[in-house]
Amino acid sequence: MAESFSVTFVDPSGESAPRRTTVGDGKTYLDAAHAAGIAMEATCGARGRCRSCRIKIVSGEMPPPSIQDTVQLGHDQVRENFRLACQTKVIADSEAMALPPRSESGHQILGAGASATDAPGFEIASGVEKHLLNAKAPASEHNQTADWEEILATLPDTIDHGLTLDVMRKIPRALRDKGGTLTATTFNGRVIDLEAGDSTEHLYGMAFDIGTTSIVGSLIDLTSGECLANVGGVNPQAVYGGDLMSRIAYAQFDEKKLATLRARALNALNDFIKEACTETGISPDHIYKMVVVGNTCMHHVLLGIDVSYVGLAPYAPTVNEAIVVTSSELPLKAAPNAQVCLLPIVAGFVGADTMACVLATRIYESEEMRALVDIGTNGEVVMGRKGRLMACSAPAGPALEGAQVRHGMRGAVGAIEKVEIGDDVSCSIIGDAPAIGICGSGLIDACAKMVQSGIMETSGRFLRKGREALPEALQRRFADTADGIEFSLVEREKSGKDEAITITQSDVRQIQLAKSAIFSGIAMLQKVMGVSDAELEELMMCGGFGNYINVESAVKIRLVPNLPTEKITYAGNAALMGAQIALLSEPERERASVLARSIEHVGLATHPDFQDLFVEGMSFLKSGTAADDQPAPAKRRRSGGRRAAAGGD
Amino acid sequence: MEDPVLVIPEGWEARAPEGWEWQTLWEAVENGDHGYADSRVQQAIEAGIDPRVILDDGLFPGFDLQADRFSAQVIFIPEMLITARAMKAGLALIRPLLAAQAEKPIGTFVMGTVLGDMHDIGQSIVTIMLENAGFNVINLGTDVHPDKFIETAMAEKADLVGFSALLSTTVYYQKVTIDEFEKAGHRDKVHILIGGAPTSPEWAEECGADGWGRDAVQAVRKALELVKKDDRVAWA
Repeated sequence: MAESFSVTFVDPSGESAPRRTTVGDGKTYLDAAHAAGIAMEATCGARGRCRSCRIKIVSGEMPPPSIQDTVQLGHDQVRENFRLACQTKVIADSEAMALPPRSESGHQILGAGASATDAPGFEIASGVEKHLLNAKAPASEHNQTADWEEILATLPDTIDHGLTLDVMRKIPRALRDKGGTLTATTFNGRVIDLEAGDSTEHLYGMAFDIGTTSIVGSLIDLTSGECLANVGGVNPQAVYGGDLMSRIAYAQFDEKKLATLRARALNALNDFIKEACTETGISPDHIYKMVVVGNTCMHHVLLGIDVSYVGLAPYAPTVNEAIVVTSSELPLKAAPNAQVCLLPIVAGFVGADTMACVLATRIYESEEMRALVDIGTNGEVVMGRKGRLMACSAPAGPALEGAQVRHGMRGAVGAIEKVEIGDDVSCSIIGDAPAIGICGSGLIDACAKMVQSGIMETSGRFLRKGREALPEALQRRFADTADGIEFSLVEREKSGKDEAITITQSDVRQIQLAKSAIFSGIAMLQKVMGVSDAELEELMMCGGFGNYINVESAVKIRLVPNLPTEKITYAGNAALMGAQIALLSEPERERASVLARSIEHVGLATHPDFQDLFVEGMSFLKSGTAADDQPAPAKRRRSGGRRAAAGGD
Repeated sequence: MEDPVLVIPEGWEARAPEGWEWQTLWEAVENGDHGYADSRVQQAIEAGIDPRVILDDGLFPGFDLQADRFSAQVIFIPEMLITARAMKAGLALIRPLLAAQAEKPIGTFVMGTVLGDMHDIGQSIVTIMLENAGFNVINLGTDVHPDKFIETAMAEKADLVGFSALLSTTVYYQKVTIDEFEKAGHRDKVHILIGGAPTSPEWAEECGADGWGRDAVQAVRKALELVKKDDRVAWA
């Protein structure tokens, strides 16, 4: 019985017009949203394990709730007709609202900050050169020369005579349109473009960091090294999964889905290139070199390489060397022969983005022991000094970016980003708007302060007994629900979405798992290298997310080792910076290739000691409050037969 | 919401020597003190207490308490794992004695983590609980090829096979492994259970599994239910 139904999505803010689509039997509201062109997210990969695809059905026959609806949304919301779009099949013509509003304006994405050329002694040597030539068209039939020979005669001897077909096709007009004045563009001695006239002033490149959650890029003037524009946004692949594994799982053993993921990345890059060019009045045809970095999954998907096996032990990449392709091969909208350079991968999920961080932080030159940590959905750690570097990748998952947390969200307007707890809770919210959720840095701060004030034990358990010792305002914020204990940070009356912004016991567990992955990744390298906390001279946090993390809170929740706060620094979006460095300097790009093969990779999944470190790393730092001294609650004993798992209960 | 409490085995005094106490061992298992668990169980054996009694009266009350708390989300993986470690210490001493008593197991359970997946964080817990429930458990570890599951099931004449997957990229192999059982013509000889964080009842149905365990406690319950069913073809 093949029926189809119409679904209309209404914008709750009333800003955009309703969007309608038709879907066939068996499709979900998530399918309908995608069909209607709404970028609804499925952070958990449409498995009913998060709330990012939450909708409210406003008209039409109400679909019965699934177990996941009740687990994720709670009975009250289900009764008010909220559902998870990924789990709810369309059973009638209906109208729905997608929540929260999908506008990403106000989304804080961090650019590179300091310029690559600020480093002392940095010399621009991008490998791209322009040559202004005066050549004449062939003149005699006797002792005839070809157009190309005439041009070559005006170029330095070192230039390679080889040409690609598309450049060949440009020769006749380039040679004649401006009376013999033309510009030849070369990359490492090979001609990659010819244009009539003098375009020697226009020499541009782009650096991109394709993160699991965000993509950022810079348009750079290759002559001066100046950064002309910074662009960026959410990685549109996110609708297919918030973390790497979900994304790989989506595309696993399915060519079409891999192509879909790839198209999303390419479209995003092309949109950003266009945006940067429009902003600066530059023609994309004058972009001759790009450096793209990302983790192994992003890297392979961009190139259209099957990632199925990267998701299975031993998680090995297909190619780990530096790769150069032309923009027309991908395709990207730049000069057709623009050289798109991908930095090498170290191993496993320690990808090109980590290599870029290594370049940017110059950790390979350090005399003392240092570590860099790229905190994100995946946490990569590189530790060492001159002559010995080791790296590992710890899958933190998207909890620190707000996913799988009841009121979690990314760093956008309305997100709680700082929490203070004294006699009561006070929150700082991005954009000073009423709170609609809590972002990663807010979660870290909240956990640190909750342990500090005795609301939570270092094991991560909310205080059950002895709350009378806490200030009254704090006591009122506890709620003992059927699903576990919750603590509200912002009351319903003050929030921006008609419900209290709470942290649940389950949220805390998700955060513990995520932060322990990173913490134990660092601890693992320390163990393998025999480096104590005292011997670590500096821990550099990288990543767009890292900027907003309160370092003290990060130490208190044991996201990073217990180092003095002066030793924990923020290195900005080092991955993007490293991409810029490789863009402006061929020697630096070459250095990445040499370094990549010399960095030792430590596989966490197979290391016998990792599990113990991971489990040990879940707890928070002791804070010396009453909660830590809690005696084990007096156990009430009950006599009775031992309840075997056999049931009968 | 009530906190789970320790259930004292009824009549334990009658099964232990005069003046004996289990309290300290219950707390040791609860708190993961594997050193104490090891030495106390040794003492109990030397005092002539029946190994089955040591297991039921001495080791399991603390373990069950933690398992209930884990299901109720009062404690988390780390606490459960340290309890499991203490249990294992005690079990290691008792197991050879129980084997000597040649108690007939309620069924044979082959378990492991699927191909491509190196995680086994929940397995130690499930194995302990299954063994206590009376199963003979063969734990194949991690990264287990479907062929290995099949070979072992055949060799051991397994009643149940269970496999977990902890990554969204490896759940696929749960389906593959079940398909391989089908292809080998052995699907109807075993009941198959799947579990792991990225799995769900819907996925279990899609794979063609006989059951799904949300956590260790549920997995064991399901296993006991299935082993009693009469609908399997016997191994040759």
